[in-house]
Amino acid sequence: MLLHIHLVEYRDRLSPHHSDRSNFWTSLAVHTRLLCIFLLVFAIALTPIGRWWTWAIYAIATLPIIYGSKVDFRILLKRMVIEFAFISVILLGTLFRNGGQLLWQWGWLQITTNGLTTLASVSIKAFLSLLLLNILTLSTSIPLLLQAMVTLKTPPLLVSILASMYRYINVLSHEFNAMRCAAKSRNFAPKNLYARQRQDHVWQRQVLGNMLGVLFIRTYDRGDRIYQAMLARGYQGVPTVIESKSGGWRDRIVLGCVMLIILLGQITN
Amino acid sequence: MHHNPISIKNLRYVYPEGIQALNEVYLEIAATERVAIVGANGSGKSTLLLHLNGILMPQQGEIFVGEMPILPRNLIAIRNFVGLVFQNPDDQLFMPTVWEDIAFGPMNQGLREKDLDIRIAEAMVAVGLDLEKYRHRQSQNLSGGEKKRVAIAGVLAMQPQVLVFDEPSAQLDPRSRRQLIQLLRTLPETQLIATHDLDLVLELCDRTIVLSQGTIVYDGKTDQVLSDRQFLLAHSLEMPLSLN
Repeated sequence: MLLHIHLVEYRDRLSPHHSDRSNFWTSLAVHTRLLCIFLLVFAIALTPIGRWWTWAIYAIATLPIIYGSKVDFRILLKRMVIEFAFISVILLGTLFRNGGQLLWQWGWLQITTNGLTTLASVSIKAFLSLLLLNILTLSTSIPLLLQAMVTLKTPPLLVSILASMYRYINVLSHEFNAMRCAAKSRNFAPKNLYARQRQDHVWQRQVLGNMLGVLFIRTYDRGDRIYQAMLARGYQGVPTVIESKSGGWRDRIVLGCVMLIILLGQITN
Repeated sequence: MHHNPISIKNLRYVYPEGIQALNEVYLEIAATERVAIVGANGSGKSTLLLHLNGILMPQQGEIFVGEMPILPRNLIAIRNFVGLVFQNPDDQLFMPTVWEDIAFGPMNQGLREKDLDIRIAEAMVAVGLDLEKYRHRQSQNLSGGEKKRVAIAGVLAMQPQVLVFDEPSAQLDPRSRRQLIQLLRTLPETQLIATHDLDLVLELCDRTIVLSQGTIVYDGKTDQVLSDRQFLLAHSLEMPLSLN
């Protein structure tokens, strides 16, 4: 997911104050936004395959969130494309299934109506879930989301682990880029990795493998040093947390509406 | 403030690989002293510093911090007493925002709400960071000098009696280094500074300890040792540029 990091960093350049009162979505308490998205994603993901009208209702419910969040569509699209590239391998696996009417066959590969329905259902689930999660992370800074998780009684240790992952993801990407620059400066050219005429592509792959190995070891060492720095400031194994204030009547109405939409989707069909 | 905050008697430490990092270290640090610990790479400076905060436990010998020996039952009090500023601020700034990072230590001490805000504000003022400007800044987006200041503020917020710095001027540009020297000069706490920056030592510390292969080979006046070219060369050090 190193490809994805610069898009995460883009969001991070915005201050946590970005979640001001400029629009309806961002005027809600962060934990309300998190809960709304969490409930919708769960409802979308747990809906059985072939329930097209249910997903249509959830897709319609997503539209005001997209409009209200005022997210940058180019960034949203880029993220979705990269994420879909990763999950498409898994999605493709759902296509070649037995059952239903046989539509196409080549050797042991076959496409059936059952496979197509599964592929379409899982793709819709993945698309809507990713869309909602990306809107949430684009409209709300990660520190505020972590704070919201604390408010929603997520175990503090889990929040601390997530906070550390978030804090160090770009340190890792910088270290990887520094290694890549150091390799490039001595004429290492990974773009030729797949060139058939190159005799040394095995060696180049070894170099890339070594770079990732070194990155892993550095990560381990850094983790050790960070833990020492935590101990030095009195850490005793349990992270301390500060809870934020609860939301107002508007938050409760929005949550109620989301619950109604979820119920409506489930009783349709 | 304790009159004799650090006392070390016959400290030895051997790493699991069998490397003798510290050998027969005897050391007394008086209150408000600013002491430099210098030595070549691998001389045992960082290992010694990690002992002062109880990150490493003495294998042999004794360390007293205030009246407390370094023992597991005293570690909480010892870590409140000795503040350790790490060499690389990226190791130390592990919370997402500046405010949360500075709050980490005081929160472990049990401070909350107004008391916590006051403590953080005092620490930020002490290191010259504007509270409103930096409060919500994210740690990874700060410059090297700013990160170092936040790291020091995070330790100052715990109100320790002793400040221990590991290579404080490493990776800083000249202006940030100058600001750091001025900052360290204003801090009233007892300070131990492990560094290769001998010009910084000359400016800040009256007393210098030279470590070589885990042993203290000099403990005395800074200007005397830093002007002894032969002694410094013998222990893989060089005279500071300002004395050349």
